[in-house]
Amino acid sequence: MLAENKLVTLQQLIESATNEELIWMNGYLNGIVGKNFENSAPAVPKISTKVTIAYGTETGNSKKLALDFAARARKQGVIAKVQALDQYKLNDLQKEEIFLTILSTHGDGEPPIAAKKFYDHVHQNGFKLSKLKFAVLALGDSSYPLFCKAGEDVDAQLKNLGADCLLPIQKCDVDYEEEAMAWFDEIVKSVTGGKSLALTGKAAPIKKKATGKKYYEGRIITHLNLNDYGSLKETYHIEIEAEEIEYQPGDSIGIVSENHSDMINAILEITSAADASYIDYRGEMFSVRELLTQKLNIVYMPDRVVKQYAQIAGHEILPDRQDLLDLLTDYPINSVDRFTEMVKVLEPITPRLYSISSSLEATPGEVHITVAKNSFYLKGEQRLGLASGYLSLFKTGESIKFYVHPNHQFRLPADDKDVIMIGPGTGIAPFRAFLAERESTGATGRNWLFFGEQHFTSDFLYQTEIQSWSETGVLSKVATAFSRDQAFKVYVQDKMWEHRKELSVWIANGAYIYLCGSRDPMSYDVEKMFIKILEEFGEGSSEAEKVLAEMKERGRFITDVY
Amino acid sequence: MADQLTHIEKVKLASNGLRGTIEESLKDELTGAIREDDQALLKFHGMYQQDDRDRREERADKKLERLYSFMIRLRLPGGLIKAEQWVAANEIADQYSTGVIKITSRQTIQLHGLYKSKIKPTIKAFDTASLDSIATCGDINRNVLCSANPAQSPLQKEVFAYADKISSLLMPKTRAYYEIWLDEEKLFEKTEEDPLYKDRYLPRKFKIGIAVPPNNDTDVFTNDIGLIAIVENGKLAGFNIAVGGGLSTTHGNEQTYARVGTVIGFTPTEETTLKAVYEILTVQRDFGDRTDRKIARLKYTVDRMGVENFKAELEARTGFKLQPAKPFTFSARKDYFGWTQSDDNSWHYTAFVENGRITDGENNSIKSGLLEIAKGDFGEFYFTASQNIIIGNVSPENKEAVDNILSKHRISDYTDATSNVRKNSMACVALPTCPLALAEGQRYMPSLISKIETLLERYALEKEDIIIRLTGCPNGCARSHISEIGFVGTAPGRYNFHLGGDYEGYRLNRVYKENLDEEEILGELDGWFKKFKEEKTPDERFGDFTFRQLFN
Repeated sequence: MLAENKLVTLQQLIESATNEELIWMNGYLNGIVGKNFENSAPAVPKISTKVTIAYGTETGNSKKLALDFAARARKQGVIAKVQALDQYKLNDLQKEEIFLTILSTHGDGEPPIAAKKFYDHVHQNGFKLSKLKFAVLALGDSSYPLFCKAGEDVDAQLKNLGADCLLPIQKCDVDYEEEAMAWFDEIVKSVTGGKSLALTGKAAPIKKKATGKKYYEGRIITHLNLNDYGSLKETYHIEIEAEEIEYQPGDSIGIVSENHSDMINAILEITSAADASYIDYRGEMFSVRELLTQKLNIVYMPDRVVKQYAQIAGHEILPDRQDLLDLLTDYPINSVDRFTEMVKVLEPITPRLYSISSSLEATPGEVHITVAKNSFYLKGEQRLGLASGYLSLFKTGESIKFYVHPNHQFRLPADDKDVIMIGPGTGIAPFRAFLAERESTGATGRNWLFFGEQHFTSDFLYQTEIQSWSETGVLSKVATAFSRDQAFKVYVQDKMWEHRKELSVWIANGAYIYLCGSRDPMSYDVEKMFIKILEEFGEGSSEAEKVLAEMKERGRFITDVY
Repeated sequence: MADQLTHIEKVKLASNGLRGTIEESLKDELTGAIREDDQALLKFHGMYQQDDRDRREERADKKLERLYSFMIRLRLPGGLIKAEQWVAANEIADQYSTGVIKITSRQTIQLHGLYKSKIKPTIKAFDTASLDSIATCGDINRNVLCSANPAQSPLQKEVFAYADKISSLLMPKTRAYYEIWLDEEKLFEKTEEDPLYKDRYLPRKFKIGIAVPPNNDTDVFTNDIGLIAIVENGKLAGFNIAVGGGLSTTHGNEQTYARVGTVIGFTPTEETTLKAVYEILTVQRDFGDRTDRKIARLKYTVDRMGVENFKAELEARTGFKLQPAKPFTFSARKDYFGWTQSDDNSWHYTAFVENGRITDGENNSIKSGLLEIAKGDFGEFYFTASQNIIIGNVSPENKEAVDNILSKHRISDYTDATSNVRKNSMACVALPTCPLALAEGQRYMPSLISKIETLLERYALEKEDIIIRLTGCPNGCARSHISEIGFVGTAPGRYNFHLGGDYEGYRLNRVYKENLDEEEILGELDGWFKKFKEEKTPDERFGDFTFRQLFN
């Protein structure tokens, strides 16, 4: 189309240009083209660059952002494709032009389950992504030591693979909206070459939300162990009263535990650190006791902290998870200065999340949780998990600080939809909330609960409530699996198989399936069984997996596993 | 009239041969209980649903239902169990129940604390050992009693065989037990014909006991039918038949009363004896009250009809007249503790078992000892109606081996060291599992007896054979109404205090004082023992003394 000389000039220009310049030129030309054809073209001209926004979500925040971004881009003439990372074809990465990923971080620096495959894929190193332009928006919670770690990893690794970084990684804390939108506007600017073609400089005002986590000061009104004598489990039902509390069934609460005073006393004694002396920890002054009690994780500390301890203490210590008290006993720190130095490398106590097991509709002003006391062995001694140990020791009337951690994914469907809930052990928690909610609102959809534990007589959590929901018809069906009541083990997935025929009818009728409880092995086993049942009723094996993936995509198979 | 039938009558009629919806109840995953109507039917299969009453409140707080469990009672006519069956029962108790094997006051054993999921495996395991629990509870003929000690009479074996014959004769015809618990396939859609029980069974529980004078160890007059073996010229001549015995009463219900059986005649042969027994059941089936369970036992039927009319109805059904009753005398109501030898030279050891609870404890390790004896196949076991155990038919050459085991596990030492009053005492299960209990039973009795022992020693009366019995309610499982000193629970820690029963078991006691607590009981006893010591005639027994003082 172009005359030779024009073509050569253009080719020279292109060859000498950086990628950013090319994008700018692309946008610039598009703009001119758009202006020239103003009368015939639609008001917002299209930019032909392909943008993919891929999200990895656990609680729905990333997904919500991805969809907001796409809508925002569209208004500016940029067409963006939104994809869930668990649905993303990994080989497409090499074909992408502009790839944006929104990735949250969970636990100790881990990516969401839905992003695990992608995360592993980019860490393989066996390929190059020299054509790719990318940017990472990382979501996290700065009260965790490895804040936004999964996002950082992906950002670094994409660079290693030769991809071009469109914009530096943006790390967002719990109040992420404002920063995320600003970051995305920058992206759009660079995609459109600095000129937002439709709405330049007129980005929609960002709705400013209350920043940070809202902490509630609650009062424990009920605290009881649901398991009876003879059980190997201790599961606490804790009811907390809190003014103006707001949440929805499916949400969790986050609790920052405190360390036990016996342990603090022992540490203070061993180190002869003055009780009242003050230390600057990350810009704030705390007394040593306050710091050790309320701020710092001193039990079952990660190896990275142990390593730093070894350096400061000047000892060879095998990198392994350890308690601070054990370290101080086995590898003493003699000077107060060193102790202060050591305290500064300790990490903050991370909040633990517990699924809410109540509904405000049924119990206004209250939030209930269901906490399994976690005990494990360290150096041959039985230890308690910090948070569950902390929660198990509470007494009625004591106060507790917590915040609500919303889960936009794990929501009840419309009132007339059927719901299948699979929740062994403490996995029952959100379903108690669901059932209380549906009972109070008179939802007409049917409810089917699968519950499992070890022993019928001692471990049937919320048995009398489940019996009553069953009698009043709130629960249409209940199937229970008590693994240790007979010669052979029976689990929830076995009960699914037993009821496969009816289960398939419910699914065909559009039932929503929810799965909550331990990730490994329970959630894997349940999903395997689900596929087996789909296969049993007519789907080919590859087809069955696709059906499950599709149900997940459409929010008809929703998990909250840990 | 039909609309006046009690609910349980309707349940029986609609039960399709005692099947009801037991299978559905077993499948219900939400509860450890079975449906209420099925609970009535379950009794006919030898089980009671119970719950741990001590745990109700705490479990309700934990959002757990009551701790339901089941008691299962075996059918052991005359209380006989073979060595290999004992080994099996011991294993089953450990695997599926609380581990304690309880000897009942009706010569059988029961296991407590079976959860619903354990019932079928338990019954299957019993079946493998040729043991069953058919008709050991419910409105039907229950475990048949018979004087068990082989040394008691040369004719003991011949008499003993009757327990088994009567038990078999009066078994229900339904295959429900085999279908529900042992997965037997149902062959016919139609419910089995049962000419004896028809579709109604009996109006109430039915008890039969056989005694061989002079020992009334089976408390023969407390049974609906009591058979008294008559021995003439060293041969079994036949049986005197007593009808209408029964002890259970209801507090505050004037219509109810304890009653000793009335001897109505004599039957000389096996055929006539069995025929008479069978037709007594049909008379009760047809004439018993089905509108009020409190007055449904045979004793009320006999009194309502009048003894003569009852006898006439019976004779019309048997087709023969009962012969006049033969004379007999009971001079004791006891177990022969320690070793006894029978005419065939075999040996029998009777061991004391406090409250009939076979478990290894502070006193001795009787459970381990019995298991060792059973595994050595040194004899067979008989349970007595006073909740003790006889290691029976030990050959002379095995006696020493058994003796060593008894001694090793302190079984013989404990039996020897136990006072007469404790050996003669009996208490029912009561709290925490019995739904009827108003006060403690076997959990309380041992400590009460210890205090009574002290009182007796104060007056040098410890050698006296005084029969003391205690029950947690007026239903009288431990036969408290026919003891020399009886305690019948009225409320926690309180008992009606009964006196005046005789030692041999002919005469009921009577309420002397109501609602006493322990201090009042001990105060009363202190006074009575003192009076007895000072004022008794030579050879006068305590029960006769108090009767003479109070009621004569």
